[in-house]
Amino acid sequence: MAPLSPPEATSRPGRSTVAYGLAISTFVLFAWFIVARQSRPFNLASIVPYRDNIADGFGRTLWVSIVSLIGSTSLGFLFYLLSASKVRYFRAFTDVFTEIIYGTPLLVMIMIMAFVIGPAFGSTNRAVMGFVGLIVYITPYMTNIFKSAIASIGAEQYMAMDLFGFTPYQRYRYIIIPQVVRILMPPLMNNFSLIIKGSALLNLLAYRELFYEITLMTNNNFRFVEGFLLMWLLYLMITIPLSQVTKWIDRRWGL
Amino acid sequence: MKIELQGLNHRYDVEVLRELTFALEGYKSIAIIGVSGSGKSTLLRILSGLERPTSGSVRVNDHDVSNPAYRKSVGFVFQSHNLFPHLTLLENITLVLEKTRGHTKKEARDQACRFLTMLHLGDQVHKLPRNVSGGQAQRGAIARALSVGPEVIFLDEPTSALDPVLTYEVLNSIKELRGLGMQFVLVSHVMTFVRDFADYVVFMNAGEIGEHGPPSILDDPQTEGLKDFMAKVP
Repeated sequence: MAPLSPPEATSRPGRSTVAYGLAISTFVLFAWFIVARQSRPFNLASIVPYRDNIADGFGRTLWVSIVSLIGSTSLGFLFYLLSASKVRYFRAFTDVFTEIIYGTPLLVMIMIMAFVIGPAFGSTNRAVMGFVGLIVYITPYMTNIFKSAIASIGAEQYMAMDLFGFTPYQRYRYIIIPQVVRILMPPLMNNFSLIIKGSALLNLLAYRELFYEITLMTNNNFRFVEGFLLMWLLYLMITIPLSQVTKWIDRRWGL
Repeated sequence: MKIELQGLNHRYDVEVLRELTFALEGYKSIAIIGVSGSGKSTLLRILSGLERPTSGSVRVNDHDVSNPAYRKSVGFVFQSHNLFPHLTLLENITLVLEKTRGHTKKEARDQACRFLTMLHLGDQVHKLPRNVSGGQAQRGAIARALSVGPEVIFLDEPTSALDPVLTYEVLNSIKELRGLGMQFVLVSHVMTFVRDFADYVVFMNAGEIGEHGPPSILDDPQTEGLKDFMAKVP
């Protein structure tokens, strides 16, 4: 049997940079190959007249994502409080709600919200209802990260707080919240990424976010390759730095 | 140290401590030994005021342990260090001293450094618990317990989560503390340490006190329970 290489060999920072450089180059090369294989020459200038619309779409994607993040985090916390309630109905309510959402595709949720639930409440603004659909859809995921973050503070820590005589305010201010925030950040950022990707579906309700604006352009100038590659790149420009920041936060502050 | 138990009973789902009546005075370091499930950790938690007994009265050094003020006069070291994981060893102590004992920042820092140095952690003070060894974290926890100036320090199997080398390190540090004039009550499975450190031993057996006396009872057990226990532990 061949001797196993020691673990240091694979985790040296210098070598790892080279490996990542090579891996990224592979994907860039693949993209170049794909572009070169197209029947029409690649022409980025064809996008230029649409750049303001695309920038607006990019901005709306970010805006809708940030508002959805805030909305679903707040609603998620509210549902966490319900799930931790002494009232059995509230706990059952959050369980059933979670099951329903986990079993529903995001696209279906958005459509139901815009075409079924919205009109029942007198709202015909489909874009806004789609927006609400996105928030509702992410909520149980947020509830879950609150649950696991708060559960991760063990009973013995509470005993220690008791023993030293911390007041309830001091417990939250100095011990519980600082830990919960650190545990919460990485999964929260992952959910943010989920929201950004999910927001592309809002184009179906004629909400003029990034996907919508670029599709509109390609329908006019037939520059599908340039348009969709740019769209892809723009999404990655948000989500990859986000995931890198998440990893950094976890390394720096993780418990 | 003075300990008085009167008709002490405790139960979770099952009966853990059964009608303990016991009085003890004059010793400085008391070891509670016994097999797992014999009720020794529960007794320690009740003596420290961490847990309320189901019934009976418990007095330590003439304090009623059910009085919340009593808790502020004790130190407790848990099985696993139980330091707050988001704070450095130093901050684990200064937070307690500043917020619950009214020390100024400087006093708290000086006090914390003094105890951390005493436990040979002078060069580790700015590290988070996850970045030091289990033995160092446990010694940090001992420093935290000492820093509040307790009358009595309770240690609940402080080395059960550690390997033999770290166990030796931690127990050695505890021995060095004898000179501080504090009183100790500890639960331990390390008999060599119990013989060496304790001046009184209480053997728990199935929720009752099976035998008690100076450490020499370990060499000459009178009850079947202690004989059996001593035959099984190294």
